[in-house]
Amino acid sequence: MLGLAHNQSFECAGREDASKLVGEFASVGLPGNMTLFHFGNCFALAYFPYFITYKCSGLSEYNAFWRCVQAGATYLFVQLCKMLFLATFFPTWEGGAGVYDFVGEFMKATVDLADLLGLHLVMSRNAGKGEYKIMVAAMGWSTAELVMSRCIPLWVGARGIEFDWKYIQMSFDSNISLVHYIAMAAVVWMFTRYDLPKSFRLPVTVLLGLCVYKAFLMELFVHVFLLGSWTALLVKAVLTGSISLCSLFLFVTLVHSN
Amino acid sequence: MFEEASEVFDNMFKSSFPLTFIVFIPAVLILVSPLPAEAAHEFTVYRMQQYDLQGQPYGTRNAILNTEARTVEAEVLSRRCVIMRLVDFSYERYQKALRQSAGAVVIILPKNMSTMPQDIVQFMELEPEMLATETIVPVYFALEDDELLSIYTQTLTSSSSQGSSSAAEVLIHTATANGFQMVTSGAQSKAVSDWAITSLEGRLAGTGGEDLPTIVLVAHYDSFGVAPWLSYGADSNGSGVSMLLELARLFSRLYTYKRTHAGYNLLFFVSGGGKFNYQGTKRWLEDNLDHTDSSLLQDNVAFVLCLDTLGNGDSLHLHVSKPPKEGTAQYALLKELETVASNQYPEVKFSMVHKKINLADDTLAWEHERFGIRRLPAFTLSHLNSHREVQRSSIMDVRPHVDLRKLSRNTKLIAESLARVIYNLTEKGAPGDLQIFTEQMMQEEQLSSVVDWLTAQPRAAQLVDKDSSVVSTLEYHLGRYLKDVRRHYVKADKRDPEFVFYDQLKQTMNAYRVKPAIFDLLLAFCIAAYLGVIYLSIQKVVERLYAKSP
Repeated sequence: MLGLAHNQSFECAGREDASKLVGEFASVGLPGNMTLFHFGNCFALAYFPYFITYKCSGLSEYNAFWRCVQAGATYLFVQLCKMLFLATFFPTWEGGAGVYDFVGEFMKATVDLADLLGLHLVMSRNAGKGEYKIMVAAMGWSTAELVMSRCIPLWVGARGIEFDWKYIQMSFDSNISLVHYIAMAAVVWMFTRYDLPKSFRLPVTVLLGLCVYKAFLMELFVHVFLLGSWTALLVKAVLTGSISLCSLFLFVTLVHSN
Repeated sequence: MFEEASEVFDNMFKSSFPLTFIVFIPAVLILVSPLPAEAAHEFTVYRMQQYDLQGQPYGTRNAILNTEARTVEAEVLSRRCVIMRLVDFSYERYQKALRQSAGAVVIILPKNMSTMPQDIVQFMELEPEMLATETIVPVYFALEDDELLSIYTQTLTSSSSQGSSSAAEVLIHTATANGFQMVTSGAQSKAVSDWAITSLEGRLAGTGGEDLPTIVLVAHYDSFGVAPWLSYGADSNGSGVSMLLELARLFSRLYTYKRTHAGYNLLFFVSGGGKFNYQGTKRWLEDNLDHTDSSLLQDNVAFVLCLDTLGNGDSLHLHVSKPPKEGTAQYALLKELETVASNQYPEVKFSMVHKKINLADDTLAWEHERFGIRRLPAFTLSHLNSHREVQRSSIMDVRPHVDLRKLSRNTKLIAESLARVIYNLTEKGAPGDLQIFTEQMMQEEQLSSVVDWLTAQPRAAQLVDKDSSVVSTLEYHLGRYLKDVRRHYVKADKRDPEFVFYDQLKQTMNAYRVKPAIFDLLLAFCIAAYLGVIYLSIQKVVERLYAKSP
């Protein structure tokens, strides 16, 4: 098909023909192998920030790869426990299709406290400076989440003939998750510090609660305001950005005050 | 980082063998898994006819499709799937698509076809022209629904904007718009071997000795149109078959009583393959006249009356290949038809149309010509004036085309005329307006239900095989009124087939949303820019963090 566009180019002349040629080339259909390119795009968008963060945070100097893998294994274990808990104690809610079960979803979100415990577990097993612990835990946790919950849908879906914007959105979402987990790890670390000043207790607890219930809040927003997919992504980014900025500010203040 | 990763994997390999299996087997399975097909829209398409008749190929030869969609306004149509709506359909546009060797043509038919009579008439005229030449381009018909319509409008906007705007606009447009890739499931079409066309016969024996004259009543039950799955053939020839069944019922009632049992044998024949040059009738005649020792057709045949398209209109034409001579039973029927029509149904214009059999033509005109070739006196009754009328072979010939009152009026007319011939009433002095069949005898509901049933499914000859429900229901119906109901099969000759049918007439087409190639490049560029920004910002953040800490 591209060859045909080439042949046509030799016969064309003039500006109108050039624009026609661009139009023709631009509208050449997508053969099957080009969709692998789209998968590559999505995968690059999802994965490269992780790579960049790993490189720039200096973790590579500390040979932290194995520890990150361990953090990822802890993530898997925690998710398994959460799923078992949810399946055992939360029966499937038989209600109307359109009504949103606030209380039920709230209870389910509370189970996400296990994430905090898992992060704490990872960080307590790693000796080292605060930033090192936080970054190792966050990197391992979020990479495990990337592999488990995003790679497979991307591989299966983005390679198909059918194009959907949701794969790009999924990749953006993984970037946002990275920031979210770094913030969450930082907040957990700050919460467990014995030398945390009294004035910081409240903001740290509030941030902790926001981290855990962020997913629940997002679903609430989408349901109540009927947000489109791109708008929801934007709101999620803003929310995560604000949480992370607050936690960064608190963290820097804490570290410099020591 | 990669060195560390390889170290970790080495450890994993050395430490526990089962663990690596658990990790790698699913990975391998996922990698080689076939892609699930999730289409934007999946719909059924009906392919145009494909058949060979007497060695001559007709219709479309191809059945596979995997190309992008365009509408006819686009500049370049070659190897694209051209989508047209029926309202925009015209022969020039169709020719344009074929000339540029488009990948396929998909014609979208509206849900409610009777709302636009102009388009219907125009389309009916074009159907035979579309079939006249053999083409490589597969032509499909699809019934319209909302999603298909939205696909069409999106394709229309992108096709019509191709030639006009500047290069920048085109780039922006291709980034935002959706293209569609149309893919059919199924294989290439191939000839169906050993297809048996079924016909049915039944008889009512007359009373009063041997060697009674026989009257044969014939109607072909198959239908024809530009797409086999869409040809319902209401008027042509659902009306003929329902009339035949009604006549069978009436005369079987008369023949049960000794007083009304006449001295004529009545032979009813429901033939298949009628639209393909009357294959069923041809083989039946050969079998009965050449290969059997004694048959009703060999002895004394009074006449053969073929019923073809009688469900509408206010005229009746009796088509003959030789004008009947005076004193024959044929002539008697002609006279009786004139009498009954003028006396009892003055609104009906009855006439005789004389057309000689032209053996040089590709196909025969009416069914009676088959009998005429074998020197049996025959004629066809139809409300159409000429056999070339497009209504005889159109997919637009659906149930609303049959006017039930006119069909039942025509049935009454023919029944009366036949009765007058069989019982010799004119010679016995019965007046012209004597009604033999009273109102209670004629059952309009039965006619109506038979027509409804016949038009509920497509009856193209390629779709009705010997196990089909159409054939078995007709057999059952005939069996209720007639004796000796038999099936008759026609299979094409192996070496020099008179007809060849092809399969893949109904397929599922998937429309996938696709983006053009340049879109992926644009996206890659944007992602690279985004990643560059992220890299720089992370570097800045890390610098400032480490600059502040002691």
